[in-house]
Amino acid sequence: MRARVIAVALAPLVACNEPDRQVSQPPSKLPSVRVVDLIPASLSGETWQDAEPFLALYDSNPKLMAASAFTPNPGGSTSATAPIFVTNDGGDSWTLRNTLPSEGLTADITHAVGGGPPVLYAGILKVPGVPLNELKTNDFLSPATMTLQASRADIDQPFVRTAQVASADHVYVGLNDFDAPDGRTATVDVSLDGGATYTSRRIETRGTAGQNGPSIRPALARDRTVYVAYFGWRSNAGSDVASDVVVVRDDHGATGATSFKDLVDPSDHLPGRLVATHVTIPWSNAPTLGQERIGSTLSLAVNPRHSDTVYLAWADRVGNGDIYTVHVRRSGDRGATWTGDLRTVTNATDASLAVAANGTVGLLYQQLTGAADASRWVTQLEQSRDGFATHQDVVLATVPATTPAFQFLPYLGDYNGLLSRGPVFLGIFSANNTPDSTNFPQGVVYQRRVDFATHRLLDGSGAGGGAAVAVSIDPFFFSVPVLP
Amino acid sequence: MHTRSAMLLAVALALPGAGAVAQMSRATLVKQSDIIFIGTVTQVGAVAAPEVPASPRTVVVRIDNVLEKPAAVALAPGDSVTVETVQPGSLKPGIQATFYTTGWIFGRGVAVREVGHEPGRSPVVVADQQAAVARARLEVNDADLKAHIQRAAMVVAGRVEQVRPAELTAAPTRPKRITEHDPQWQEAIIQVQDGIKGAHAGEQVVVRFPGSRDVAWVGAPRFSAGQEGTFLLHKDSTTGSPNAKIAGREVPAYTALHKVDVLSKQDAMRVRTLIKKP
Repeated sequence: MRARVIAVALAPLVACNEPDRQVSQPPSKLPSVRVVDLIPASLSGETWQDAEPFLALYDSNPKLMAASAFTPNPGGSTSATAPIFVTNDGGDSWTLRNTLPSEGLTADITHAVGGGPPVLYAGILKVPGVPLNELKTNDFLSPATMTLQASRADIDQPFVRTAQVASADHVYVGLNDFDAPDGRTATVDVSLDGGATYTSRRIETRGTAGQNGPSIRPALARDRTVYVAYFGWRSNAGSDVASDVVVVRDDHGATGATSFKDLVDPSDHLPGRLVATHVTIPWSNAPTLGQERIGSTLSLAVNPRHSDTVYLAWADRVGNGDIYTVHVRRSGDRGATWTGDLRTVTNATDASLAVAANGTVGLLYQQLTGAADASRWVTQLEQSRDGFATHQDVVLATVPATTPAFQFLPYLGDYNGLLSRGPVFLGIFSANNTPDSTNFPQGVVYQRRVDFATHRLLDGSGAGGGAAVAVSIDPFFFSVPVLP
Repeated sequence: MHTRSAMLLAVALALPGAGAVAQMSRATLVKQSDIIFIGTVTQVGAVAAPEVPASPRTVVVRIDNVLEKPAAVALAPGDSVTVETVQPGSLKPGIQATFYTTGWIFGRGVAVREVGHEPGRSPVVVADQQAAVARARLEVNDADLKAHIQRAAMVVAGRVEQVRPAELTAAPTRPKRITEHDPQWQEAIIQVQDGIKGAHAGEQVVVRFPGSRDVAWVGAPRFSAGQEGTFLLHKDSTTGSPNAKIAGREVPAYTALHKVDVLSKQDAMRVRTLIKKP
């Protein structure tokens, strides 16, 4: 199904990204949008590739948020800890604190808040050796190292979501567990006691090509419905993987002896609805989409107040000349049936979905546009209240895609972050940090020292801002009002 | 990257001041520190930036000279930093000292945690202190390298003759997994020109290294054909396949996964000196 794109009367920013109906409009500015570079002034000399950002926030306290990226401890690779960013003023300013027990930086990190601020849970792949560490702190503003609650090896892409039930925090960590039996590696570590104990729930019920894809994405509604999306890898030929896109559901917060069995597919009556079958996942651990690797883009979001409605986004290769195409679908009946594609975005990655309290869905993605030296990474948030028949588009950043040269992979991230709280979408992405206003159509605030007039980053070493600093990849926080 | 210079050995100091810190050698202080500066205490029980919690242990110090810092950190003479001291009350306004610290909170300003400090005669002689810290840093670096050398099974100076995909000769204990963190093991065949430890000139050795550009391996050394250097090699206990093949012959495989494991060819002499040093 192809979305029909029309102008949204209330929204000045409407752009169409369907390949056959490209509408070129200069991005303009929407009121009340904030974009903030997270690198603080005291790290103005920073030149690292701060990729794969993530965000955690409280409903109950809009001032407090935590964020992460592949940002190293400024002390260097011999440091025993890695940092997170925190804010206590709603995202206007951020500080960096070395509180993760990982040498210098992490190899994967996601996190989510506990019910009582300022509790934070994190799932990291620790450096060195990349074992999973499931962590907790009772005060993420504290400089104390987070507490290790559980650890094991052979895990990929821990993805943390939390819910408060009564007085206990429920923690759900989607992960790819290579020690799971029979190659059914898609797993959710479930804790019903604030991370004190975890139980690994295997969610794949079908045969695999030896394993599932790395991205296992839980989404939680307030009524304790838990959905999880994953890639059911069925076979592979070279670097292309034939995969199903699968959604499982548990109606009771995964508190029972068996879990994630509440949604079955009509084709085989097995748990796990097959939303799309035999899609082609181009698994590439090398620069493929610009300087970015691809193969694990997957996002799931449920309407927090109406758990019948759930949105799914993934990326695959369609085969029409695309490199990687993002698809968005929706179910309005608890995952039993799904629409076709409500939205497709060609040559895009890092799709992240969130559903606001009023039902508006947000889709964040990063799209590679143009070619060769003229190519750009365009970071965009789309909002829709009608299944993407119409959508309001906000370009958050449009930056050169060929600079800086990648230091490692991922270049921007295997994922980024989008959440909602009340009337606002809040998110985070990584991008080229050149201080050029034309790169950030909604405006941008730098904490680090910059000179917009000359488009230079400065190291803050003295009068006038100091010496020039090389362009690098920084994490950017943003907030965008939800469509009313 | 730190601002350092190579000098002579450090001299252990008995530091006046706070408790256990007083007994630390300067090298010990340097080893535990990544931000070192000379500064003057301006406030006690206060902070230099609003994002840092004030306590009886925090003092504000005006930077007089920066002796070492990571390149990313914006710190210059005249800046004020918050120092969380080891012991409350150990520093009074007006005291000038050399502060050995680690990064604590980075926001609008820099906040650091004190490892120790050397109270200076006012004014501290900057050049002397810079030289002393540099000597201490060299001592620390040499001690670290010596420890690495002692742990290495083999130390050689040589040339990389060939790089090839790793041939893992032992059967893996489980099916190969597809993950973005896969190291994608490669093998470098090194022609030994100088067998410094555990090897002889003329030997060939196989060194495994990650070819992956994934973030998990971002700090690991990589090898390329024609590369010359001094290599600290460890028996391969990482890949699960301890042996490799050269011309059909089975030989032990090695790894060099720490950045210190790959040095320049000129470092061979330094390595020999450290081996001989008691």
